[in-house]
Amino acid sequence: MNRPLNVMMFSWEFPPRVIGGISPHVYFLSKSLAKNNVKVHVVTCDFPGAPEHETIEGVEVYRIDSYKNPSPDFATWVYLMNLNMQKEAAAIAAKLPEPIDVFHAHDWLVATTGIGLKHVFRTPLLVTMHSTEIGRRDGLHTMTERMIHETEAWLTYEAWRVVCCSDYMVQHVKWAFGLPADKLSMVPNGVNPHDYEGLEKHDLRSFRLKYALPHEKIVLYVGRLVYEKGIHILINAIPKVLSKTDAKFVIVGSGYMQEQLSNIVKSMGLEHKVLFTGFVDEASLLKLQKVADVSVVPSLFEPFGIVALEAMAAKSPVVVSDTGGLGEIVQHEVTGVKVYPNNTDSLAWGITKILTDDGFASHIRENAYKVILEKYDWDNIAQQTRGMYEAVLGEYSKSFWA
Amino acid sequence: MRAVIFSWEYPPRIVGKLAEYVSTLATDLVKNKVETYVVTYHDSITGAVEEPNGAKVIRVTNPVHSHVSLLTWDLTLNQEVERAAANIYYKAQRQIDVIDVYDWHFIPAAVTIKNALGIPFVYSVDSLEDHRSPAANAPFNMAIRGIEWLGLFEAAAVTAKTDWMKNEIIRIYKVPKEKITVIPPSADSWVKDIISVYSSVKGGSDKP
Repeated sequence: MNRPLNVMMFSWEFPPRVIGGISPHVYFLSKSLAKNNVKVHVVTCDFPGAPEHETIEGVEVYRIDSYKNPSPDFATWVYLMNLNMQKEAAAIAAKLPEPIDVFHAHDWLVATTGIGLKHVFRTPLLVTMHSTEIGRRDGLHTMTERMIHETEAWLTYEAWRVVCCSDYMVQHVKWAFGLPADKLSMVPNGVNPHDYEGLEKHDLRSFRLKYALPHEKIVLYVGRLVYEKGIHILINAIPKVLSKTDAKFVIVGSGYMQEQLSNIVKSMGLEHKVLFTGFVDEASLLKLQKVADVSVVPSLFEPFGIVALEAMAAKSPVVVSDTGGLGEIVQHEVTGVKVYPNNTDSLAWGITKILTDDGFASHIRENAYKVILEKYDWDNIAQQTRGMYEAVLGEYSKSFWA
Repeated sequence: MRAVIFSWEYPPRIVGKLAEYVSTLATDLVKNKVETYVVTYHDSITGAVEEPNGAKVIRVTNPVHSHVSLLTWDLTLNQEVERAAANIYYKAQRQIDVIDVYDWHFIPAAVTIKNALGIPFVYSVDSLEDHRSPAANAPFNMAIRGIEWLGLFEAAAVTAKTDWMKNEIIRIYKVPKEKITVIPPSADSWVKDIISVYSSVKGGSDKP
């Protein structure tokens, strides 16, 4: 093929519409693919003030009418939105001067768009499974959950290739939908280390003073304050850490456990050592990750664990619980410290180890940053993704659809 | 001429009067030298067969078995209708002259196929949500009315069985009256009239 690959991606979120992790994933992946000679057309939901069509660093972004009438429920909205997305994507694809070579869907939220267009254009479909209903809900308990699960199963069945962001998710998706192993690929999620460059030193010193006293080390947690993130394990580890060293615990994020957690902190008499910031803006978050002496990810369930990667890219040493995708990102005592999940003693030990041994902390910091540049660099990930598209097209060219 | 009919009921699946009607139509179209396909739904009899009347019938089922409503069932089933129609299209050297859609159920598939492959469709209105669920304004009914509107807007032509229905379509959805043809099933020229509507839209002006 003498022209660049032509890919159409479907995602229910794309900046400035940011709901979860799919939006930044598709944003960075599509931009990096564009730099690697792949023409990407992203079809996504509309957002107030965002244009219907724009070109972002070579990526064509189309925002469709996301069905704004009242819907009976969220899942029904998803299928109604897909009716519009499929109709508009069909028109966009048909009018392009070159045909689309590959459709790439992200999660069940765009399942029916991808499945229908695959057959109508006879073009291969890829899917990235970022999460599963059976994993999110820890089982299937309602008709809605079953319906979503079956839609996910159908999507992975129709897809030529199923991509997951960690080995853990590959195994989970294989189990959940009974897929053959050779249909699955692992391509990690990426992080952008350039985001943390050029944050001025002087600026950071005064910024740091807003959160902690000069003699206090900063222990940072970033995530929703919900059970599966294990934030309560960290809160219970605080007195154990403070008995060894002086530190300030900065908790970023919100969630249903917030009030309960701050009551525990109050009852421990440690309000002066714990700061709940709530949701913070992107610029402040980057700086916080940059000034943190240790970043903690104490999750009980974690498909990937992007927040650990971000801390590593910010050169903040990480302590993570050894579970899901986190266990794969961190190599114990080389690129971070792994602790037993759901264990306050183990977590306190990990945090204290980093805070009390500067040599160890900087050893981990440097190693982790090196891995970020090698393995989780978006440019590298885009090349792997492009290789996957090419492999699928090679197989496709031998099929009766070609 | 090659025509594909989309209908959510076709014998042996009989829900209302539509099944018999579409079956008679398919038989008469074949007699009038129209190569006729029917894409329909069945839970257990699936696949493609040539029926004794000469029509080729493709029955699809829904890959998603658990549903919260008729709406989610319909919106997922549409991808299978698209798959069946695409298979006809690619096997027939990429030539389908017209798709005739009965009621709202498979309008989403017809609209996507029109946008993707440039095949025009006729929307044959048998009944409307406003009459089935009078004055119902729940999000569920609103969504079905939205699909009916989409079908009337995107269709190359609309057919109705009575003048009353034609007027109702105009009253409820503000469709230009020139777009709607009334073809009473009792008329002697019934099939001829339907074929002439097919011919009028065939090759469609909105081919991409």
